[in-house]
This record gives sequence, structure tokens and C-alpha cells, in this order.
Amino acid sequence: MMRKRIPLIARDFKRLYTGFLILAVLLFGICSYLTNFNLITLVSNGDAFWEFITEDFLPPALPKSSRIPGILSSVLVTLALAVSATTIAAILAFFVSLFGSEKVSPFPKAAKFVRGFATFLRNIPALVWAFILFSSLGIGTGVGFVALCITSFAFMVRAFVETMEDVSQDCVESLQAVGATFPQRVSQAILPSCLSGFLSWFLYCVEINIRASTIVGMVGGGGVGLTLFSYIKGFQYDIALSIILLIALMVILVDQITGKLRKELLK
Amino acid sequence: MKPILKFDKVSKYYPNGVHALNQVSLEVMEGEFVSVIGPSGSGKSTLLRAINRLIPISGGTVWLDGQAVSELHGKKLREQRRKVGMIFQNYNLVYSLSVLQNVLHGRLGYMNGWKGVFGIYSEPDKRKALDLLKELGLEQFSYNRTSDLSGGQKQRVGIARAIMQNPKLLLCDEPIASLDPSSAKTIMELLHDMTQKRNIACIVNLHQLDVALKYSTRIIGLSKGEIVFDGTPDQLTDEMIEKIYGTSRENLMIGGSDDEEKDTVDCA
Amino acid sequence: MNSNARGKIVEMEETVVRERKASRIPVKCRETNKFIPVFLCAVVVLTVMSLIYLEIDWLKMASRIPDVGIVFWNLAHLDFANIDLIVSSLIETISIAVLSLLYSMILGILFGMLAARNVFRIPFLSTITQSFFTFLRAVPTPVWVLLMLVCLGMGPEAGVAGLCVHTTAFFTKSFAQSFESIPDETLEALEVTGTGRLSIFTNAILPAALSQIVAWAGMRLETNFSECAILGMVGAGGIGYVISTSLQGYDYGTAGVAILLVFLVAYCIERIFVRIKKKFA
Repeated sequence: MMRKRIPLIARDFKRLYTGFLILAVLLFGICSYLTNFNLITLVSNGDAFWEFITEDFLPPALPKSSRIPGILSSVLVTLALAVSATTIAAILAFFVSLFGSEKVSPFPKAAKFVRGFATFLRNIPALVWAFILFSSLGIGTGVGFVALCITSFAFMVRAFVETMEDVSQDCVESLQAVGATFPQRVSQAILPSCLSGFLSWFLYCVEINIRASTIVGMVGGGGVGLTLFSYIKGFQYDIALSIILLIALMVILVDQITGKLRKELLK
Repeated sequence: MKPILKFDKVSKYYPNGVHALNQVSLEVMEGEFVSVIGPSGSGKSTLLRAINRLIPISGGTVWLDGQAVSELHGKKLREQRRKVGMIFQNYNLVYSLSVLQNVLHGRLGYMNGWKGVFGIYSEPDKRKALDLLKELGLEQFSYNRTSDLSGGQKQRVGIARAIMQNPKLLLCDEPIASLDPSSAKTIMELLHDMTQKRNIACIVNLHQLDVALKYSTRIIGLSKGEIVFDGTPDQLTDEMIEKIYGTSRENLMIGGSDDEEKDTVDCA
Repeated sequence: MNSNARGKIVEMEETVVRERKASRIPVKCRETNKFIPVFLCAVVVLTVMSLIYLEIDWLKMASRIPDVGIVFWNLAHLDFANIDLIVSSLIETISIAVLSLLYSMILGILFGMLAARNVFRIPFLSTITQSFFTFLRAVPTPVWVLLMLVCLGMGPEAGVAGLCVHTTAFFTKSFAQSFESIPDETLEALEVTGTGRLSIFTNAILPAALSQIVAWAGMRLETNFSECAILGMVGAGGIGYVISTSLQGYDYGTAGVAILLVFLVAYCIERIFVRIKKKFA
């Protein structure tokens, strides 16, 4: 009776999914070939892998009690690094993002360049910035701070510009029609309407930066990342595992706190 | 009566090649209530925004209260803009602020520098704002968040903000397009009464032909960026309507739903 | 309801009258979110305390700012002598990013099934899976890669496996969320027809969540690439290794080319993804 199979989903989406599937299989083939990655080798190495985990990692061991205060203070360094870098970056990003949207900026022609600059900064990972800065400023917490600032600044410029264009484009236009100056438009229209959005992005950035500051620490920015790296390098894997647990605890706690704060802010 | 606004061969080309306005010339007198009608994309919105230079024009001159707006910058431009109140289709209010604060925004053009930035308004201004809200029947909402209001109420706040400017000219960009019929009627009547009482000239962009016929003293028909009709409502014949919209009067009058359908087609 | 509203209006009128009697008329909302100023103050205090605690030597850093200029100047002098090495390691990096993404998608769907509360309806299992993956997600990717390097030795296996840990954890959470967003009524309707759990999943839940899965995958590709690019810096191979060794060896020209390529690839992925999102939004 039926000549054709009845399609169950819209044609556009069907095409998208088939395209996606073919692309995935193709990419899978090409990439496996290029890297010589083989799932079977991985699985056949499974025994050694398990042995390693059960013998070297488990159970997690505590470091010498004299080291514990040092480790805890390194956690504090990581947290302090993330919070301070995000705040400074957010303040800078707020002022720069005012010039990053054609609809809001008093110099609409320059908006493209501001966004382009932010895109450039953002698409180079924080760790690359850290390495570039290490080679000129030397290793230290200060450099980690600047590297985190750069990427979170660029990220927030983009997020803030998008928030502004979504939320306050209309009221900025109306205040322009009223004859308000640019600072007046910022404080009376953009700030009140976008503040909670900005803060929500700020919290998100804190979450990212907690992880990023751990990583930057590993290559020389200080903090708990450096502590972990030194234990791994010293083959003390059981102690390393406890530090990993500590990092996980820190990240989960921060995520919980920011989640609570976000709910309060958006009320 | 003296002219408050004069367009002298004003043109606007967008970078994508669209001629939104093509050599438009017109004059608006004090106290006139002008409706601008025309299909979507005929340049109505551009016409309004050319007056207070929210959109810069490409050619010609706009004279507002005896000054050429198109050449003004900075402080001078702001001084001209505050003479022109504007009402928007999407109300364009700051929803996180109180109703009173939104009304007081109308005074920002008169305040210099930091007082405006920090929102420190003078007592007479505040009293005037409260009186205005009372006149519009919104005084019990003065300290509510603007986001709590209904659409019609929001538009009334928009009117209050525009009137706070002591404008000589009021521009309304599709003021009732987002409202239900009964709110739309209230808003149109308020606009009519408030402007007549204060002798403010008013230019309204409208989609609804019947509303334009009912309230205006003068109708301007725009089509493809050119004025094809300029006269009183009773001069607007069926042939003229067909010329403006490119379709017969019956097709326009069938009802709101049909009209909207046509709109979406135009947008797409 | 009606009398309540009327009471509210009376109350409002009273406040208006009261406030107008005062010498200065207030303008702000009656109910403001008082938490925001408190939060802002707390952030400022925390930041100042953090900056003091970090004891950064700002003077020393400022004195070296000219050096930063020199480094960027040197980086801008691109040196294409090692281009074949750079390109091959870049391809390796991209491949690792894509492979880990694909493997994680499969694993993510499997574990997402376990984590979603509406697939097998065993709350205990969901809670266990979710908390385990919350732990995996909380530890940054390079840490996992470092561990895999220790376990598996150098090579793409360590990179793929390390990236997979974090990506799978991410996918499990987001896929489970997508699965759970399917209304219970739909599932009940299938349940009463006697369909098995697994076929409900493959016939109803998975197709409905497919568009979201594709969107998550696109979003994750961006992250995976930049994560993968930095893996070399903690000891794994790929473009990151080239960047870090050439920077440490003062071979700024090569590093400049590599960084530029990383930027270009990341930028392209971002653009393509924005395009696709616009088209199917």
C-alpha cells in the first residue's frame, strides 16, 4: 500500500542529523588514522591500568602533617587568585564592553574593533597567555593573575556586550531620544537593567577561573596546582590523589556557593 | 501657527542599498496631530527617527524649531532632542527601575552631568512626575517595579516620560501595535487629549487605518520612502489608500488577524 | 484574591501619601533586591583581601613591562621554518579533541541514561552516577591528562583518555538534563502501551533530545580544542608542547606561528558554531 516510508521528523532536522552522523563517522575515521589511536590497545592495556590505579593511587594518603598547613594555604592562594582576577577583569570588561556594541557605544564605528580585540584575546587559551608572560615577567603568582585576567576579561566583554544588546538596547534608544548624555545612559538604563545579568556572568567566570587558576598554578603560577604537580613529579601518587580530592572538594563547594548566590541575585 | 518641523528633501539610504526615505519634504505646525500610514518597510520608522537623529540621514535637512538637526553634535543635539518626546512600540522602559524613576528619565536632558548620572532629581520635578502619574491614573503604582505593569500601563508610563520633557513635538512609533484593542483605545485617547491640552504637535506612525482616520487632523501616506498622500482624513479616498498600500481598502479592513498575517509575510 | 488586591492598593496609597509628606520625595522602588549591594560590597572586600594575601610584587612586574613588549615584538616575527612540525602537531591536537568528543558522546549517552531519573527510574542509581560524575567534572582536565600520562605513557591514548574523563562527565550531566526535560506524560503514554524501558528510551527520549545533544557537542568542541591545545604544556604532546618548548628555547618565531594557528582554529570553530546555531535556533 505505502510506496514511501512516512517521515517521522521534519525534513530539515532529518537532514541535519544525517549530516551530523556522516560527519561524525568520517571524522572518527580520519582522526583515528591520523593519531594511530586504537581503542583495543587501550583496552588491552586495561590490566596494567587497573593495577596502577589500585596499587599506586589507592588508598589516598595524607601527606606529612607538617605539610598540611602549606597545602591548605596553597588552596587559599588558588581561590584568592581566581576571585581577585575575575573581579578586576569584570570591572575592566564592564567599561570596555560599553564601547563594544554598536547600539550602545558613543563611537559605533569602533565597536567592531573592540569586539575583534576581545575575540583575539579570548581564543588563545589562558595557559598560552601564562607561558608568553612567564617568558617575559618570570614565574610567579602575579603572572598567573594577569593571565587569568586576560582571558576572563575577554570572555566577559563578549558576554556583557551580548547581555546589553539583549536587555537594554531599547531603553538606551529611549534615553538617547530624551537627550541624556552617555554617562547618564549608562547609569540610568544599562546598569539597572543589566546588573543582575552581569553578576550572573561574573559568577560563571569565577567558577571557570577556579579551575583555570589550578591549571595555571601547575605550570608556575603557584597555588594548589603547583603542589599537586610537585607530588606527581615526585611519584607520590597516593598523596596526589588526596590533593585531587581536595581540589574537587574546593570546586564543588565554590559551584554550590555560586549557584546559591545566583538564585539570590536573580530574584 | 508656526511650523515646528520642516523636512527639506530628506533622503536616507542604508548600506544594503535600501532607500528608506527618498527626497521627502514636509512641514508640521504647532498642535497638529499627524498620522503617518503606509505598509511595512515604507520608511515610517526611519522618518520618525530622522527627526531626533536616532538615525543619521544621508541627504537633505531636517529643521526642528528653527534649527537644522542634521548638523548638530553633542550638547546642542541633546538640547534639540529634549524638545522632542518619543513613544515606542515596545515601550522602551527600564523595567528594573520604579515607575517614578522611569517618568523622571524625561528630565535627564535638562540635567547637567553627574546629578543625572546618580539619579538625583529636583523636588519640583518629582512633584510634577507624581502629578502626571495621577493624571494618567497610575499614582498607586509609582513605587512599583515597571516590569510588574501591564502593557497598556507601561505605555502610559512611556507617555508620562515623554510629557516630562516639556516637548514641543511628540513622536509615536507604532504606540499601540503591541496592545490589545481596549488598551489601544485608551492610549490613543490619552495621546490625543494630552497633546491637545498642551498644544504639542504629534506625529504617530500607525498600522491601523481606522485609528488614523478617527484621531488625526492630518494624514501622511508613505510608500517606498516617498510621500504619496498628504491631507485631511476626509480627503483620503479609496483610490489613495490603494496607492499607498498597493491593495484595496477592503483587504485592509477585514480585520486584525488578516492584517497581521500580511505583516509576517512582509517581514519574511 | 479581589479583596487582597484592594487591600494592597489601599496600602500603596497610604505609602504614597506618607512619602509625599516627607520633605524629600523618594524615587526608588518600594521593594528592591537588597542582596545585590551586599553582594557587591562582599566581592570588593574579598578581592582586596585576596590581593593583599597574594603578595604580588607589582613594582617588579611593572618594571618588566618593557620585556612584555619585546616578547610580543619577537612573537610577531613569524618564523615558518618549522611549519611542518607545527602543522602536524596541530592536526594531532585537533584529532585528539575530535576523538575524545566522539567517544565521550557515546559514553555520555550511556551514562546519561543511568543518571537521568526518568529512564530506568532507579533513583539510587541516578544519585550515585550523578555524584560520581560531579566529582570527575570538578577536577580540571589537565590533571586527568597528567594522571593518564603516568598510567599509559606518552601518546595520543593518554590525551584522548584524559580529555574523555572530563568531557564524559560534562556530557553525562547535560544529556541527563536533556533527557529529564522530556515531559513525564509522554513517557507514561508509552508505558501504558507496555513498551519496555530501553525501547522507550530509544524511541521517545533519545530522538527528542537529539537536537540538544548536537548543540552540546558543538559547544563542547570549542572547549575541547582549547583544553587540548594546552595539554602539551603540562607534558602531553600536540601543539601545546611546540608552543611551550619553543617559548622556553627563545624560538619566538615558531611559537608565534603556533599561537596564531591555535587562535585561527579556535576562531573558526567558534564562527562555524555561531553560524549553525543561528540557522537552527
